[in-house]
Amino acid sequence: MQRVITVSLNRNPYSFEEDANARLAAYLAEASRTLAGNPDRDEILADLEQAIADQCKRRLAPHQSVITLLELQPALDEIGAVQDPGAGPSAEKTASTGSRPLEQVSEGAWISGVCLGLARYLGIDATLLRVIAFILLLISGGSMVFVYLVLVFLLPFAPLDPSRGTAGKIPLKSREFVQYLRGKLGVPA
Amino acid sequence: MSAEPNFAAIRKGLLEFVVLKIVGAQSVYVPDILRRLAGTEFATQEGTLYPLLSRMRRESLVQYEWQESDAGPPRKYYRLTQDGKSQLATLDQYWKQLNKTLSDIGR
Repeated sequence: MQRVITVSLNRNPYSFEEDANARLAAYLAEASRTLAGNPDRDEILADLEQAIADQCKRRLAPHQSVITLLELQPALDEIGAVQDPGAGPSAEKTASTGSRPLEQVSEGAWISGVCLGLARYLGIDATLLRVIAFILLLISGGSMVFVYLVLVFLLPFAPLDPSRGTAGKIPLKSREFVQYLRGKLGVPA
Repeated sequence: MSAEPNFAAIRKGLLEFVVLKIVGAQSVYVPDILRRLAGTEFATQEGTLYPLLSRMRRESLVQYEWQESDAGPPRKYYRLTQDGKSQLATLDQYWKQLNKTLSDIGR
């Protein structure tokens, strides 16, 4: 049995099961982060909330009123991850790499993207950083595992960017799981 | 979506052009646009379209008005502004020129 949480989507109430609610919170948090700095962020988020509400309602059977992951997941898949359109073709995207904050990068990651993100943040080769991390793991007698897990939980995830390639199964699972955990614990993702 | 993942950048760059064309033909709301694009090379999702339309509105290429719907809340119907129309005409012209250049080159 799951508890039901009432959520406001574009200022209308909807009932979600707990895990669907956590998934929804993770999606909206990621969208919000992708759109950080976009002057229309609030309006786009409201549009998306409405789209999510419409899609979920369309998927609910007539006698049901609580939205579960069964409705939410396909709805989110259809809506897709939020892509910030940037400044438009006239202003041609310039140097979207570099000067990113420290975050986890899922595309090309081995585990969760901590090493990759750290390497990008420091501007060094990811393989070199992984070797250093591995040596640290050995001399620390394994306690680096704990440090790694803390970083996995704390570091924000870089928005998924198809132009960087596709993320592997393990990084994606890790990403989903951590965002789910953060949603459950009420930590801002 | 498409068999040519390598050309994603080209499609992405052209999406605004495509949306201008659709909105230019008639006043539409987002699901209309998605339906029109589904099955084409430009098939896209709400997660992409809403941010794009917001930017186009900020650049005053499109504007929207609320229209009541039979089911659910009012919907945003988009149409082109004067700026949007001239942008579409310019892009159309430019596209023809690009095509000509592309077919002339390498002969």
